[in-house]
Amino acid sequence: MEGKGERNMSYHTIEADVVVVGGGSAGTVAAIKAKSGDPGARVVVLDKGPIETSGAIGRGMDALNVVSVPGYGTPEDVVEALTKVTEGVLDQECAYVLGAKSLEAMKDLEKYTEREPGDLFPLDGNGNYKASYLHPVNHALYMAMDGEDIKRALAREVRKLGCLVLDRTPAVRLLTEEGRVAGILAFNIRTGDFYLIKTPAVIITSGCVGKFGMPRDGYLSGIYEFPGNTGDGFAMAYHAGAELVNLECFQTNLLMKDFNGPACGYVVIPRGGYGVNARGEKYWTHGYWSGDMFLAVWREFQEGRGPVFLKMDHLPEDTVKGLEKILWGTERTVRGLFHQQRDEDYRRWDSVEQGMEEITLCSGHSMSGILVNKDTETTVPGLYAAGDCAAVPHQYLTGALVFGAIAGEKAVSYARIARRLEPAVSLKKAWREIREPLLRPDGLAAEDVEIKIRSKVSQYLTPPKNDFLYHKMLWWVDRMRREDVPRIKVTDYHNLIKVTEVKSIIDCAEMAARASLYRTESRWGLGHYRLAYPGRDSAWDGKWVVVRKDGATGEMLVSKKDVPKHKWDFPARLEYEYPRPVFDMGRGFVPPPNGYEDPWIREKVCREGLSIPKRMITRRER
Amino acid sequence: MESGERKQYEWIRVDQDKCISCGDCVEFCPRDVLRLDNQGFPYMAYRDDCWYCDVCTFVCKPKALSLEEVPYLIK
Repeated sequence: MEGKGERNMSYHTIEADVVVVGGGSAGTVAAIKAKSGDPGARVVVLDKGPIETSGAIGRGMDALNVVSVPGYGTPEDVVEALTKVTEGVLDQECAYVLGAKSLEAMKDLEKYTEREPGDLFPLDGNGNYKASYLHPVNHALYMAMDGEDIKRALAREVRKLGCLVLDRTPAVRLLTEEGRVAGILAFNIRTGDFYLIKTPAVIITSGCVGKFGMPRDGYLSGIYEFPGNTGDGFAMAYHAGAELVNLECFQTNLLMKDFNGPACGYVVIPRGGYGVNARGEKYWTHGYWSGDMFLAVWREFQEGRGPVFLKMDHLPEDTVKGLEKILWGTERTVRGLFHQQRDEDYRRWDSVEQGMEEITLCSGHSMSGILVNKDTETTVPGLYAAGDCAAVPHQYLTGALVFGAIAGEKAVSYARIARRLEPAVSLKKAWREIREPLLRPDGLAAEDVEIKIRSKVSQYLTPPKNDFLYHKMLWWVDRMRREDVPRIKVTDYHNLIKVTEVKSIIDCAEMAARASLYRTESRWGLGHYRLAYPGRDSAWDGKWVVVRKDGATGEMLVSKKDVPKHKWDFPARLEYEYPRPVFDMGRGFVPPPNGYEDPWIREKVCREGLSIPKRMITRRER
Repeated sequence: MESGERKQYEWIRVDQDKCISCGDCVEFCPRDVLRLDNQGFPYMAYRDDCWYCDVCTFVCKPKALSLEEVPYLIK
């Protein structure tokens, strides 16, 4: 049976110099820099949605969470902060570049949005950009931003420069030849138009694994990250042979409960708010999303002081009004409606209840992703990565802008000199394989399989990590790949992409489980709290756990690798200790020795004419 | 869930007196949730993909769309 729109599909082959996979923050900037670096270059942008509104910042963003601006912070300060929050597991050069180029990224944003200093970003009395404190270090590295329009401005620039934008056309397979990038396959989720794009350079900017754990409310799209971000970039890079790191460090989102969006501590805390437990007590020293803070929240819940709240009622009325304007007018604008329907008011201390919701793999707020160097090169020639899918830790939107720009510049330079390899792929055969779920007469709904894998992720992988559950997760992964994925049935192209998404989530679940089992210690607070190894082990200092695919066998390989030698000797740990739980329940009931044989067995064997086996007779009778 | 079909419960409301059937909401929804019905009015064809991001109401020039509430499961 043919699905809707099937008859109208058509094949397209495009020759390109650079293909950007994902037109979010990093992707749009990458395209801009690639095209402006070489106006003759054929730059293609693929996205699941329209680039004006897709990705994490479709409705804008309210801050750049890490910058170094004159008078407030230096690139070295950024290195110090990131060395601390990653507990030393980072390439310090990437952190340095992040800080060093953050001002340039701000200037670019002002140019694209056509806004003046003091409008998009605040200025202090001296006319300098005004940074605030957020990280658990003594440096002001947080830059507020009135950035409702930034995504539309970036998209406008991409189109103005003449990039070929294929909206609603996500990439589904990365093609390599001789270990290098050769092309990419994509299809339009409305028309089914199928694309082979031949290219020597691909930049993966397709975001984090936002759809990973399952939110407790049960709404599949009710998550913190943009729900189009399903780890497709992680999986694509993995299957192309790239190395991925930090997949054992989970982002354990602390969210506005039920709404499952940002609470948003990073807006509230620099303006004087803070987190409190159910007794109204401040429960931790800072609100930065590092593992120690998440561990502190987890303890509040475990020790009966939960839930936790974001407290704002002590702030001046003007500040509260300002917070309402920012929180309800940028990023997740529906927060206002959500509160209104619950009769919640920031002027009451318990108006923003927070919950530890679905786990996520993300570099922006955490550390997981495709291994890249400061030039955004992955371990596969021709493959670049930037933004939430590239493992530059704690880089936030700033990192997407900074490394997106670098990726665009580097990829277009590479494309000029790269040997072009013809992808050895049969377009018809590949398309037949991809649309197989459309052609099946019946089967499992993609969303049922998504519910299954994501609920398993939540049940088995959510920290604290239990080795037995992790092995069980691997069993589920294998079983779902064999039994469930081949049975998915969809009826249109809109849902066909969900098959790729589910496969990506399953791949990422395996990567997360194997990487977690490989790292024989706990680190990053709750992010990798492994009960079998409940403390930090210095043997793992400065070590990445690397996941990659064995090209010959197709198996997932896990190994360890030293991070590049640190240039700066900053403290590489946060101020916290793992708890030593004491769950002394006393001695439970012990049944007395049973001195009598079982009358039921005696009756049965007598009736059936058998002799009672010796092992059934109690010692006293023997 | 059968896709593309109208659900009884939707959280986006259309003021049919104001809607000019321009299709901007359909084009700019980042999750490809909306379609125009045979009368030219938007409906939530893929309702459960909605991230309640508010883009549809934001891009609606005649202000015909409103997000009436957040999805039932999180309301």
